[in-house]
Amino acid sequence: MKRFAKVMFAVALVLALGTAAFAAPKIGIMTGTVSQGEEEYRAGEEMVAKYGEDRVIHVTYPDKFMDEQETTISQVMAMASDPDLKAIVICQGVPGTAAAIDKVKEVRDDIAFIVGTVHEEPYMMAGKADILYEIDQPARGSSIIEKAKGMGAKTFIHYSFPRHMSYPLLATRRDIMEKTCKELGIEFVFVNAPDPTGEGGVAGAQQFILEDAPRQIEKYGPDTAFFSTNCSMQEPLIKSVVKGKAIYPEQCCPSPFHALPNALGLKVENKGDVPYILNAIEEKVKELEMEGRIATWTAPITMNFIRAGAAYAMGYANGEIKDKADIETAKKLIQSFAGGEPKVVVTPVSHEDAEKATPTATYITVKVPFNGAFLSQTVKVEVKQGDVRIRPFDAEKAQNFLMVVGESIIFGK
Amino acid sequence: MKLIQKNIVPIVFIILCTIGFQYSGLSWIFFANDLMTRLARNSFLVISLIIPVLAGMGLNFGIVLGAMAGQFAAFITVVHNLTGIGGFFAACVMAIPFAILFGWLTGILFNKAKGKEMITGLILGFFANGIYQLVCLIFIGWLIPISNKALLLPSGVGFVNTLDLKIWQYAIDKFYVFRARGIDIPVLKYLNNINIPVLTLTIVVLLCIAVVLLFRTKLGQDFRAVGQNRHIAEIAGIKVDRVRIIAVIFSTVLAAWGQLIFLQNIGNVQVYGSHVQVGTFAVAALLIGGATVSKATIGQALLGTVLFHALFIVSPLAGKNLMGSAQVGEYFRVFIAYGVIGIALALHAWQRLVKKQ
Repeated sequence: MKRFAKVMFAVALVLALGTAAFAAPKIGIMTGTVSQGEEEYRAGEEMVAKYGEDRVIHVTYPDKFMDEQETTISQVMAMASDPDLKAIVICQGVPGTAAAIDKVKEVRDDIAFIVGTVHEEPYMMAGKADILYEIDQPARGSSIIEKAKGMGAKTFIHYSFPRHMSYPLLATRRDIMEKTCKELGIEFVFVNAPDPTGEGGVAGAQQFILEDAPRQIEKYGPDTAFFSTNCSMQEPLIKSVVKGKAIYPEQCCPSPFHALPNALGLKVENKGDVPYILNAIEEKVKELEMEGRIATWTAPITMNFIRAGAAYAMGYANGEIKDKADIETAKKLIQSFAGGEPKVVVTPVSHEDAEKATPTATYITVKVPFNGAFLSQTVKVEVKQGDVRIRPFDAEKAQNFLMVVGESIIFGK
Repeated sequence: MKLIQKNIVPIVFIILCTIGFQYSGLSWIFFANDLMTRLARNSFLVISLIIPVLAGMGLNFGIVLGAMAGQFAAFITVVHNLTGIGGFFAACVMAIPFAILFGWLTGILFNKAKGKEMITGLILGFFANGIYQLVCLIFIGWLIPISNKALLLPSGVGFVNTLDLKIWQYAIDKFYVFRARGIDIPVLKYLNNINIPVLTLTIVVLLCIAVVLLFRTKLGQDFRAVGQNRHIAEIAGIKVDRVRIIAVIFSTVLAAWGQLIFLQNIGNVQVYGSHVQVGTFAVAALLIGGATVSKATIGQALLGTVLFHALFIVSPLAGKNLMGSAQVGEYFRVFIAYGVIGIALALHAWQRLVKKQ
């Protein structure tokens, strides 16, 4: 028996050493659970499925991330204790991320950090993480208001609470919104909502929205646009907006998957199928007679932060990306994801046009059914990426802090 | 049997931590180092709860105010850029007036709500958080001028949500780090390669000695007398209300220092969040150590800190590995950690019942 144990031990040792010697480099992904928003967690799962369980470690930060920063730190440290791990993607970068990165860098300086949706002070975070992706909040300050105006809004309601208003980017966005509203002649109303991480929790915050939004519609009329800075408030907000036939220009984290399907009662089987969900929302919006009253971005932006972040992390782990903060590659990656699915645009053209055109353009001749026969026709085929704009938060001091604006879509228009 | 019954709460926790460690797949070195860090940064806060317990005021959830006092002092050092170990101790000194003021106010409130100190303290924490946010978000930069604009929100009013404390990070933790090597004794060899922050632990030990000595003085005896029976103490000529206020002030000042020790290890301060959890977590740790609302020792505080944080280190990964899903791991952790605190309270009640019979 003793001998058997010895043999087993030897085998185990050989196996352990063997796997260590040939182990492929790994990446770590930290997301939230599905409690506040489902997208990041699902994107994390998608990455595990894409790259394999042996290459990706997926963990979650606590639901009560404000209270349990020590757990966030421990979780990141536990990932970093794996010697094969080369890069960590954190999305969202909840408070505690900065401390966690510091703690890891004390023991291992070789790990690259990619952070999506940054909660903490931008300049400080730009100094700690290697690549940061964030929605261009200041730009949204004007773009959301302009969109709301286009959708017919006369009043703009902004739901938030002190903790969020202490986030520099969100505070700046609110200020820009207020200014833009004044310029465009829209009444800007700031409504204080309960903090979902406070005593009442998520349920308390959601209940407040369900009660307050109808009150506001009654007060200001249906031509009121509603916006909230918090993920968990979106679903009750959309429900209230649909009920009162008000206007909903964008979620806090714009995406066709974020809160819209659940609020509209749509079933989502595949979280990656963008054209399907856009179509489904479009039909539902028409059915509810809410045409031109609900909008979002075509690409699920936070999911794409994780997809692009994981691709970057994998590239770094495999040695394809040499520099920890390779800003150009990071830009290209988010560009390739944030545009949503590439769209194929087919336009019929005449033979003469095709002949005159440059040889690099793609023109093909297709046979189309016509009166029981086939007619050959030349078409121009273009592959269009969605319209994505990327700019650094600060071109001098924070070049690695990339802010992204995606393409907007207003349903039923 | 009696010993088991008496220590049932820590025993349950030791078993849970052991099982959790097995399933977490963590290496011993990582676990031990993480635990040592957490012990160094949290034990001071937990010990700050002991004095009010012995003075008959139950678990002082009001230490949240102490943490706020510590943070105000930390902000002052950041604004004036006081660096290094000097900056840290300057923060400790500056925290004292804030903490005394907050403790005094808390004490007055507790005297008005005798017998309901715990719930009063809990709600007081929420209330104080509101005022704290008002000060940090509205008054800073408006009524209270701040020269360094980088610390403020873009509008120039209110602190940003995270302030870097690099200026005195590890001021005491890294003052002298002891790392054992080459211990060959079978049981003790597990202590090899653990980073021990000597100065921090020395400060904690000094605090423990100070608490023990305090209870030998006249004031300490008064605390005990008040804790055992207010009416008898009153008749014996002790100014009960005054003694109770002093107990709360002690606790609040210690909590302020505890929070500063915590922050110097973390290295940045979440202006609007770092203090929120302090009360509940310290109380939970003390209860897990086997303390009750009327009896607590230093040993229980230290043991509780170790066990509570050990569970927090192993449970997310144990949950993930057991359930095969990252988020179920998180729910598992919350369920275990808070569920067991509930059990701890129930077990205490059961013990008391057994004692009565």
